[in-house]
Amino acid sequence: MYKLELDKLINEIKKQKYKKILIQLPDGMKNKANIVADSIEENTDAKAFIWFGDCYGACDLPSGMDILNIDLIVQWGHNKFNKEMW
Amino acid sequence: MPRLFLIDAKWEGEIKLTDQLKNYLKKENPKSIDLFASVQFSDLSNFIKELEKLKIKINLSKAKRTDKPLQILGCDCYPDSFQKELNSDLILYIGDGMFHPKALVFATNKPITIFDPINNQVKILTKKDIEKELIVKKRNIRKYLNAEKIGILVTVKPGQQYLNSAEKLKEQLKKEGKKSYIFINDNINLFNLENYPFIKAWINTACPRIGTDDIVNTDYTIINLREALNPIKYLEDLENKNE
Repeated sequence: MYKLELDKLINEIKKQKYKKILIQLPDGMKNKANIVADSIEENTDAKAFIWFGDCYGACDLPSGMDILNIDLIVQWGHNKFNKEMW
Repeated sequence: MPRLFLIDAKWEGEIKLTDQLKNYLKKENPKSIDLFASVQFSDLSNFIKELEKLKIKINLSKAKRTDKPLQILGCDCYPDSFQKELNSDLILYIGDGMFHPKALVFATNKPITIFDPINNQVKILTKKDIEKELIVKKRNIRKYLNAEKIGILVTVKPGQQYLNSAEKLKEQLKKEGKKSYIFINDNINLFNLENYPFIKAWINTACPRIGTDDIVNTDYTIINLREALNPIKYLEDLENKNE
């Protein structure tokens, strides 16, 4: 129902030679996680990992991913935002 | 830190001015509309042209945090979240959920018309739908004003991390004779609040929807950073919303 734009993602992974990808989907799209992971692993040399928990927006990035050597986080359903400064 | 790649996940269908919506607009007869959508539904150029054929002026107000005109985020829930005031006859949100239009009700105190293009449904969200949240919000600000020991919650998530502001608030509270402590975590789980019974009021510096929506599901006193920095002003604003 929503466009996954996997071609765009696969091209980016190949172009930048990313190796470990974290997939973050909003709740309504989590049932597509296997399609995304399979597509990454079948079409690139990268390994795909799926974020288990919530993801409310581009502001909601998980911490500690560098410890796991994740080099790309991909979020669906969100776009760039301007962080408010106080 | 890993790189971030964002995909809009646009809805595959075509957003049309359906008879359902047309009939509603005919009944309401707005001369102008403030139009908003979540990113999945933000390709609206044809839809806007159809609305303009009905002689309706479309105002594309931009929320300050978003990257595109007409897009809204869940955190755009304060009156000053937008680049200009929303003065059109009607506010129309295009999308399939309630989280974003609810932000518009919080921000404007006005009824929001929701058009769900997936199910071709028109719904109205009003301040009656956020009444409980407003009552708890007011109660919490009053309790915060009287609390002497305060906990300030800070997340390490970069998009929501406001440690500097938390430290600023701690200084402000010190000047007011209040003791405060800064708590850091990667996920603000309200169940953890029970471990700190000495804290009488909590300040959330992360996503503002925690201090807006989640407060109705807990007895703990939680307010957002924004209200904590200027509690009297926000209390007055909330009193005015009830009028």
